[in-house]
Amino acid sequence: MTRPLFPTQEIGSLAKPRWQLLGQRSEPLDEAAKAELASWDAQVGFAAEAPEVRDALLGGRPRDAGPDAVRDLGALFGLRYLETVGLDRVYDGEARRIEMYEYPIRQMRGFRFGGHVRSFDNKYYLKAAVTDEVRLDRPYHVDEFDFVRRHARAEPKLPITGPYTLADWSYNEYYLARQPGWKGRVARRAAQKEFVVDIARRAIRPTLSALIEHGCRVIQIDEPAAGTHPDEAAIVVDGFNAATEGLDAEFTMHICFSNYADLLPTLLEAKRCTQWAWEFANRDTAGHDGYAVLKTLAEYGDHREVGLGAVDVHRDPVETPEVVAERIGRAARYLGDPRRIWVNPDCGLRTRSLSVARAKLVSVVQGAALARAEFENPRR
Amino acid sequence: MIVRTGLTGPFPRSEALVAATRDLDRGRTSAEAVEELFGRTEDEVVALERRLGFDGTTGGHLRWPDLFRPIAETWEGFTVGPLTRWLETNTFYRQPILLAPPGRVPGAFSARLPPSSLASPGSARVVLPGPYSFSVMLDNRSGETEPALIHRLGRLLGDEVRELRSRGFATFLFSEPQLAVRPPEGPRAEAVVAGYRAVQSALQGGTSIVWTYGADAAPAFPLLDRLPVSVVGVDLAETEVDQIPESATHLGLGLGVVDPRTTLEEDPGEVARVVRAAYARRRPNAVWLGPGAPLDLLPWEPATRKLHVLPAVQRALSEGSP
Repeated sequence: MTRPLFPTQEIGSLAKPRWQLLGQRSEPLDEAAKAELASWDAQVGFAAEAPEVRDALLGGRPRDAGPDAVRDLGALFGLRYLETVGLDRVYDGEARRIEMYEYPIRQMRGFRFGGHVRSFDNKYYLKAAVTDEVRLDRPYHVDEFDFVRRHARAEPKLPITGPYTLADWSYNEYYLARQPGWKGRVARRAAQKEFVVDIARRAIRPTLSALIEHGCRVIQIDEPAAGTHPDEAAIVVDGFNAATEGLDAEFTMHICFSNYADLLPTLLEAKRCTQWAWEFANRDTAGHDGYAVLKTLAEYGDHREVGLGAVDVHRDPVETPEVVAERIGRAARYLGDPRRIWVNPDCGLRTRSLSVARAKLVSVVQGAALARAEFENPRR
Repeated sequence: MIVRTGLTGPFPRSEALVAATRDLDRGRTSAEAVEELFGRTEDEVVALERRLGFDGTTGGHLRWPDLFRPIAETWEGFTVGPLTRWLETNTFYRQPILLAPPGRVPGAFSARLPPSSLASPGSARVVLPGPYSFSVMLDNRSGETEPALIHRLGRLLGDEVRELRSRGFATFLFSEPQLAVRPPEGPRAEAVVAGYRAVQSALQGGTSIVWTYGADAAPAFPLLDRLPVSVVGVDLAETEVDQIPESATHLGLGLGVVDPRTTLEEDPGEVARVVRAAYARRRPNAVWLGPGAPLDLLPWEPATRKLHVLPAVQRALSEGSP
């Protein structure tokens, strides 16, 4: 496949439109939700692909459509929303997912959910304990990917939560109990490695294998927990390598809001990783060069692609295409090879409104075009 | 061996409180109903602490959004900033932003403490942010240097201790993860000592505990040994017993023997063995056992279950102690 210089991609989830949330619950759309559906349909053109679902929703008959068909329409919306921006690689905005931990864990055996843990303020999440050997019920995300593959006009890419993050966000009971003696740091580390590699081998790898059989060629393994314990970078790598062993696809690793330098050079041992998709823009401020860590990557002689986070997902003000282009140019200088750069948001845009998210994605695409023009026709 | 037990940080909210506070945020219940549930659940925690024979009751500090907020919202000079990762966990706190040298408002902080924790006069325990960790984990825009800020926070916390002593609180546990994560040196270390001197002068016969966690505390012992406090605690999930310096101490030794990072229940016999080994290295006047780090990293049920290990260890130690 011939790609332009500085191809563009999305990274993760989008905010769910209100019409989808109401429709999934079989609640009639209010006027705001109807207007939202009509407005986005006018902008990205998706509802005509499922007119009976659209008509049921707009006609106040969500039960006639059913929650599954509404989710399908949400996935179609996500696809067209991303494709019409002009991204080269897309998914469905994770339209069917509500989080990235509980769903994958519920596809496995060996876990027990024991209650809520506070994340902050009055926000909580369910956290499971691994109480037995990890086993997979059946590969997951496959139906979801099939739908995307059938409908995508751009190259599809599937995001999946990585083994280290699933383990780090769980309580390690079973593997820790197998460690002899006091459960101090040494025992905890050994137990964590066993746990991560078991999730990778027994659950993630069979899932990746099934996805590949269904035609998935690009898989983004999300490891947002990778930076939580920098001294466990080797375990992140062990998990990645075990999950991808012997599989034939492009595997990228997404990490965000971490101090990447702390993970280097250990992370570079992730053998089948073809691209580092990291967040940078959030830390690129007037007094701080958010892309400087790329120099370290270059110093280690790493030649993989970089998925360059060029817009911040935590703030509403939209970066201009010029800002994005400047960041791309800077990253290209640091890496010494512009051909290795993909351009994307820092992370999933679900915390932004759909309007703000789209404006940021437009900047990604236009910024990449500006940078491309600059590199292909440099001003003298 | 004198063995004391108790909580070392906030306790998790019950599932009923989780549901009620969520409902409150969604406008599905009233603030009064949630307040009433907080009160009943605090009573439950106090009852649990008593049933387990703890030396001091806290009520669990269930209402606190995080360790710093009760101070940041009641003292002068602060505003509350962005969500920030709490050490190496998947939980977050809102980083206090210090805009001017801080000032204390008498009575404001103590109003955040549950009256039920005072049900046994003379044994109420309160958890406070340690002055060093507080200074490291806030965003200091006040213009004050870090050593000066550490010292000032120590003095202000000393004033809180004085007021809380007059209200009946007896034990003050200072949460100090940063003493292990980023042990201070030079003027910052001296400021930590001075800060705790200010706390000590306000104790009036009470007990002060400095509790470290979040990293191996062994490298911090030269400083910990100098602190003018009653007890210094380490998290034994992070600090290996054989790394605790082998020297007698006049201080009490706190040992975090319940690990809130796992739901796996500790084996009381194994814990007792490790406690004896730690005791032999320091010969402290008393051993204070508790969770290694705040127990609110666990849900309510496993946290409650795991707390039962503490009296079991106490029994094991008394049965086999020399």
